[in-house]
Amino acid sequence: MDKKDEKEKIGVYVCHCGTNIAGVINVEEVSTWAAENLKDQGVVISREYKFMCSSLGQELIQKDIKELGLTRVVVAACSPHLHEKTFRNACKGAGLNPYLCELVSIREQDSWVHTDKVAATEKAKAIISGGVSRVVYHEALEPLHVPIHPATLVVGGGIAGIQAALEIADAGFPVYLVEREPSIGGHMAQFDKTFPTLDCSACILTPKMVDAGNHPNITLLTYSEVEKVDGYVGSFVATIRKRARSLREADCTGCGICWEKCPKKVVDDVFEAGMGNRKAIYVPFPQAVPKYPVIDRVNCTYYIKGTCKACEKFCPTNCIDFAQQDEILTVEVGNVILATGWDLFDTRRITQYGYGRLPNVFTSLEFERMSNSAGPTGGNVVLRDGKTEPKVVGIVHCVGSRDKNYNEYCSSICCMQSLKFAHLVKEKTGAEVYNFYIDIRTPAKGYEEFYHRLLEEGTHFIRGKVAEISDATRLPSEEGKLVIQVEDTLTGNQLRVPVDMAILSAGLEPRHDSKALAKLFGISCSADGWLIERHPKLDPIATMTDGIYIAGCVQGPKDIPASVAQGAAAAARVMGKIQQKEIALEPVRATIHEEQCSGCRICNNLCPFNAILFHEDRMVSEVNPALCQGCGTCVAGCPAGAITGTGFSNEQILSQINGLLLLNVPKKQAVAA
Amino acid sequence: MKEFAYFPGCSLEKMASSYHMSAMETTQKLGVKLNELDDWNCCGATTYFYIDELLAYTLCARNLAIAEKTGLDVVAPCSACYKNMFFTAAHLKKDEDLAEHVNFALEEDNLHFSGNVKVKHLIEVFAQDIGPDELKSKVTKPLEGIRIAPYYGCQIIRPQKEKEDVEQPQFFEELISAIGATPINYPLKMRCCGGSLIISSRTAALTMVRNLLQSAVDNQAAVIATACPMCQVNLEVYQQQVNLEFGTNFSVPVMYFTQLIGMALGIPNKKLGIGKEFVAMAPTPLAVETAWGLPRKTK
Amino acid sequence: MTDTITFGQEISNLLHAAEGEPLKTCIQCGTCSGTCPVAGYMDNSPRQIIALINLGKKEQVLESNTFWYCASCYHCTVRCPQEINITELMYALKRYSIWKNRYKEGLIGPTFSEAFVKMIVRGGRSFEPVLATSYIFSFNTREFVQEIQGATELLLKGRLPLLPARIKRLENFRRMIGRIIPMGGLE
Ligand SMILES: Cc1cc2nc3c(=O)[nH]c(=O)nc-3n(C[C@H](O)[C@H](O)[C@H](O)COP(=O)(O)OP(=O)(O)OC[C@H]3O[C@@H](n4cnc5c(N)ncnc54)[C@H](O)[C@@H]3O)c2cc1C
Ligand code: SF4
Ligand code: SF4
Ligand code: SF4
Ligand code: SF4
Ligand code: SF4
Ligand code: SF4
Ligand code: SF4
Repeated sequence: MDKKDEKEKIGVYVCHCGTNIAGVINVEEVSTWAAENLKDQGVVISREYKFMCSSLGQELIQKDIKELGLTRVVVAACSPHLHEKTFRNACKGAGLNPYLCELVSIREQDSWVHTDKVAATEKAKAIISGGVSRVVYHEALEPLHVPIHPATLVVGGGIAGIQAALEIADAGFPVYLVEREPSIGGHMAQFDKTFPTLDCSACILTPKMVDAGNHPNITLLTYSEVEKVDGYVGSFVATIRKRARSLREADCTGCGICWEKCPKKVVDDVFEAGMGNRKAIYVPFPQAVPKYPVIDRVNCTYYIKGTCKACEKFCPTNCIDFAQQDEILTVEVGNVILATGWDLFDTRRITQYGYGRLPNVFTSLEFERMSNSAGPTGGNVVLRDGKTEPKVVGIVHCVGSRDKNYNEYCSSICCMQSLKFAHLVKEKTGAEVYNFYIDIRTPAKGYEEFYHRLLEEGTHFIRGKVAEISDATRLPSEEGKLVIQVEDTLTGNQLRVPVDMAILSAGLEPRHDSKALAKLFGISCSADGWLIERHPKLDPIATMTDGIYIAGCVQGPKDIPASVAQGAAAAARVMGKIQQKEIALEPVRATIHEEQCSGCRICNNLCPFNAILFHEDRMVSEVNPALCQGCGTCVAGCPAGAITGTGFSNEQILSQINGLLLLNVPKKQAVAA
Repeated sequence: MKEFAYFPGCSLEKMASSYHMSAMETTQKLGVKLNELDDWNCCGATTYFYIDELLAYTLCARNLAIAEKTGLDVVAPCSACYKNMFFTAAHLKKDEDLAEHVNFALEEDNLHFSGNVKVKHLIEVFAQDIGPDELKSKVTKPLEGIRIAPYYGCQIIRPQKEKEDVEQPQFFEELISAIGATPINYPLKMRCCGGSLIISSRTAALTMVRNLLQSAVDNQAAVIATACPMCQVNLEVYQQQVNLEFGTNFSVPVMYFTQLIGMALGIPNKKLGIGKEFVAMAPTPLAVETAWGLPRKTK
Repeated sequence: MTDTITFGQEISNLLHAAEGEPLKTCIQCGTCSGTCPVAGYMDNSPRQIIALINLGKKEQVLESNTFWYCASCYHCTVRCPQEINITELMYALKRYSIWKNRYKEGLIGPTFSEAFVKMIVRGGRSFEPVLATSYIFSFNTREFVQEIQGATELLLKGRLPLLPARIKRLENFRRMIGRIIPMGGLE
């Protein structure tokens, strides 16, 4: 490469970012240093400015490009995640190919992580030197244009997923709504009342479920799961396994005779949270959408012993099909919305709270089912014996949340949920209710007012995290009760509160398989397991992968209103994409130099996006540029060194390293670093 | 044959000699060899840590260094000794600075501790190295029908070492089942007996002892099994004083788990130090059914 | 202000492996005090002690019996949601209090602790009867009688040693201790 001969004209722009950068790094010094010491590299101008991303800052660059004829631009500012696009567009606006602009980070990788001002300033110089050395090897690239398929895949049919699907379908675009359980509805379908207005959960949810079930633009795929996803924004191909319901949906009327006649009772751990039973052929709840039952093959007598078939015998439309096979569907979609929700924290993990050991300790979901008039106790709040009404009930906040031994985060909904429970217990049983809390968190519309209502209702509030719940009774008044031991932190007294029933307000956790889901869709999740948004404040519903959005609790704990809002917001983003009809893809791609490829096929399996195909005839590999995401895995993996990544070529990387080490700068200036 | 370095600790020299005797007898019978450390010093119970942390670590480290020379893992039968040694070893391994300080002092006794000793509690040897299955296979006189309350106490279990269950462990119960007895489930099995307070804060300690005995007795324990000399002394020796103080009528035998295991292995009572108790234990396991079949309910 | 070290920092410095100031992260949830088997006897609950330290209320902390009543059971520590080692804090406060020679009137703990340590420094192993004398006088008569009774019974059953055990390499041992604390301090 003769790059060195045809002298580039490079502009360097150092940003203050207010005091974000300038508070630690001596920006003026850095800028002057670059102008003086990187001259040989081709730097013709170096400037510093308060906010480079402001329109004035951008104009600065554009003016220099036009007036000084810059051929390369290096901006030293924040992370490329934030403003790479901004500066590339600014260059484009002035007629310079956007890929000839390099953004180096002196904020995230320098001023934010150091306190030693002198050292940080030296580091900034090195970072800029690296950027300048690298940008010389940049090539002018043109983006790839691909069409956007108008269909959308929504995974998870809870309230967030339903909302997203309805919005898109109402706008006239097709949606595949994939739900793992036999019915859509998610957790909201299990609840009795919803805070803070206490309207009945089913009453507000069912109409939406029915709409989703009947919508001409929605293909409902329940009892189904996504198994494989290929492709990229605009044209994903998803492979979906539709598990056999063991009946022909087309003929089933949902009459319910089959599950009435089925002799096999099964404890329902999912919908009834273990509080009630269902049959081996079942719909999870009466308002289920779709209305067809499924046969649970693990528990059905026929699948275990080969006899029974009562359901088949009684079915008036003769639609039972024991031999039915799973169906594998492949669908093409332009965008994906993930809305798979949450799992409840396993309260057994906090052994000192006694769940599973002491019968009258309940989880929050168990209480929801118990309080629901369609639930296992017909809406009666009773002890585990199924008949005794409690006289004193303790509600324990923050179970498994705000605790470094379990989950450090606050689950955000359980204070309100605990207040809701306190109200329902009082209303239904007249029992004395104690809420044990660390802080009452009621930060949304109408929530604090609901708390005040509870105070007026006479609920006891004790500020203290419960130490333990036991049956270690000491006094006659404790006989036969559970004892909740806690410090009332407002007075400093250690209390032993005897109760008949304890309800554990367990936290929300990511789905147990959220990491696998993230991997399947090629996005990232936090160490906890919540899926990571593109920006925590400014883009909470997009992910780092174009075309994949997240909505509802899959992103983190939140209440129903927030889940609905995210579902709708994700839908709006998808519709915007669909309207564009076409999308420009980053031209950062890998290419295989055929003459160097030895045909070992190592790269074929390395590529996480299955973008590499193999030509049997010529015995060489080739990258499909539409599928390649430019991740660079194959580049590093190829033993023959036959692959280069645009934007990450060996020259670019090596020269950047040289630059960082200040090898291109005259010795005496370099020593300071 | 499994072999361990053995740190008896001060209380086993006399106060808890029956623990020492029964530990030796039972391990021998189960194919485990305990080699007493040469010229060990007191681990300091908890009191050193009141005065000088560095001194406390040094004293523990001296024993660890002596153990390290033998190349064996070290076993302590006392929970406080165990906890002190375990965490001293852990801290010294992690903290080079501390290790340097401590080793500087150890030089005076020509010793050096490099962090390569695993510290175990005696009951871990039974629960892990021998294991309940192996133990069960060696039992000749199963303690059938005897309701035993396993008392874990504090420092075997706490602080937490890794991610093990520190609230409802089961290994003690498993050992009791292995010798044919019935482990009882009582809510205070993990609670503190107040051992270290008996001298300084007597009323508090006696109340704690009372609550514990009550909980065991309410759940029809015929005997309480301990794995720590401090717990044993507290729960047994102070029973009379609890009775005096609170007008109760406790008379629950409190025995070392090794004594109970020894009985089940058919070792004669005398060799297990049985007979030195304040609250007498029934002399033979055979008499037990009638003697212990009934709960000792106190008022 | 920034140069003077706060009471909280002073205490944190006494905690081995205390990174930063762990006490500062206490969320005052009360799990420790709810758990503590001795809380009922303490002037201030363990949680309150932490609040007082964070507030810099040194006098109030030293006046408190809380840390002398701590039984070192570590139950609070395994439950604290902020993973604060409250038990070690109690040790640190005992050390601080002995070091500053300041403790609440009428406590037996400090005297006992000092006596115990002196004994080990001398002999290498602990020995109960020696100890008894240093604390027994602070008991009331009934307690005294009970104590004597307990000791006598232990003696009769052959469970109390009559002579303190000493370790063999005592000279080395004492020089070793000399490298940690200047001799004379405790002797
Ligand atoms: C006890 C309790 C009471 C509550 N009460 C209230 C209240 O009164 N008011 C309020 O505003 N909020 C309440 N909440 C919060 C509320 O539950 C959530 O805000 C809401 O459920 C979030 O909806 P979602 O759609 O994100 O998730 P979910 O309801 O969890 O729905 C996710 C759906 O995705 C499906 N799914 C999961 N994985 C897959 C997969 N791999 N493939 C296909 N499908 C999958 C699931 O089966 C489920 O149907 C309460 C929470 C609790 C714990
Ligand atoms: S009996 Fe037949 S038609 Fe009726 S719900 Fe069952 S499968 Fe459907
Ligand atoms: S065949 Fe299975 S699902 Fe059908 S009735 Fe029998 S047990 Fe129920
Ligand atoms: S919302 Fe309330 S109960 Fe839930 S974790 Fe947060 S503070 Fe605790
Ligand atoms: S790894 Fe390299 S040599 Fe092997 S097939 Fe791929 S491109 Fe060819
Ligand atoms: S850079 Fe290579 S490994 Fe990465 S997506 Fe492109 S072809 Fe696949
Ligand atoms: S348990 Fe921990 S966080 Fe809670 S008050 Fe005690 S020290 Fe503070
Ligand atoms: S370690 Fe001390 S403060 Fe903590 S619970 Fe036990 S006695 Fe109380």
